[in-house]
Amino acid sequence: MPHVAHPLRFLAPQAAALRLVALVLGMLWLAPLSAWAQSAAVPPATAAPAASAPAGASTPKAQPNPSGEAPAASATAPAAGAAGAGAATEAATDTRGLDQDIQGLKKDVVDLNRDLFVLEEELLFPANTQVAVFISMDVGDFFQLDAVTLKIDQKEVANYLYTPREVEALAKGGVQRLYIGNLKAGQHELVAFFSGQGPHERDYRRGATLKFEKGIGAKYLELKINDRQRRQQPEFEIKDWE
Amino acid sequence: MATAVLAVAAATGYALLGHEAPDFALHAVGGSNVRLSEHRGDVVVLSFWGSRCGQCRTQLAALDRSFKTYHPAGLQVFGIDVDDDQGGALDFARTQALGFPLLLDPQKAVARSYLVDNLPMTILIDRAGAVRQVHRDFSSKFEPAYLQQLRVLLNE
Repeated sequence: MPHVAHPLRFLAPQAAALRLVALVLGMLWLAPLSAWAQSAAVPPATAAPAASAPAGASTPKAQPNPSGEAPAASATAPAAGAAGAGAATEAATDTRGLDQDIQGLKKDVVDLNRDLFVLEEELLFPANTQVAVFISMDVGDFFQLDAVTLKIDQKEVANYLYTPREVEALAKGGVQRLYIGNLKAGQHELVAFFSGQGPHERDYRRGATLKFEKGIGAKYLELKINDRQRRQQPEFEIKDWE
Repeated sequence: MATAVLAVAAATGYALLGHEAPDFALHAVGGSNVRLSEHRGDVVVLSFWGSRCGQCRTQLAALDRSFKTYHPAGLQVFGIDVDDDQGGALDFARTQALGFPLLLDPQKAVARSYLVDNLPMTILIDRAGAVRQVHRDFSSKFEPAYLQQLRVLLNE
């Protein structure tokens, strides 16, 4: 049974257009910063010739010395060394500054991506038509989840296979958004089929149904898998978040 | 690098080369499910096969040897059976005792997403999740070249 793609893929053209716009905006925004970063990176490379220039300039000064003694050269050497050390310190400072700028830039990109994601969700699933279905699991001793099939108004909208890692995450208290879509206001029916292994490692398949009224606002539904200790059986219910 | 990838894509005519490998989740013969995206960071080999294909069985045996050698270095191998009837795959799994999972794709949705047009067909996915190599046939004489490609990916 194949994995059902993320709900956003059903609206791929709109999402792709949004991403394209975001990409272009991002590139336009990043281009000047990239140019600045390159220009900021130049000084350390040019610093070395600049630092060597005084040392080279000191050589002609030393040549006119009739004695040709070493002290003139040895006097310029510490100066050149100091200049070199200064340039190296400056270069290190520049590099640190550049690193901080890059980190800041990365953070901005992450923030921008988050904002775009929120914007995309708001555009594709407006609050007045939005329906989201979540799934959670409490304990899970009596049921090893394998797959969930979701139908809304007799139409299959999600079919999700769970890997052991995902089941483990749910058992630890994770909540997964299984489906997000749009529904018009009115009466609707949600049917969820759960398959997996029940008590004594037997194949287990159960369903849960909920008729719900979709109003003006967003609708949130939760599929809950609980252990019923008294009957030693799993229990499946659908909760309507008011 | 990009030029090389494009050149290979043009040479083999496989549209997914250099692109992100489509994600999927499938039942494994052993019982648990496998999702490709959970193996990001590993080098993944997907081998599409059918129980009536003789070369497929030879290739799966060769893949098993590679898997046993390179699994500690981050190699994952998945054999994806595209038979309508899963009996052949179950029998094969029982008799061969392969070290890697055999996945079942009776609806062929995953095979379609990977544009499988020949059996066996082997796809090499790098650690970043991109399709890097494709082999539309198998012969023992291709094995050294295939191992070389695998080592390159494992060393990245």
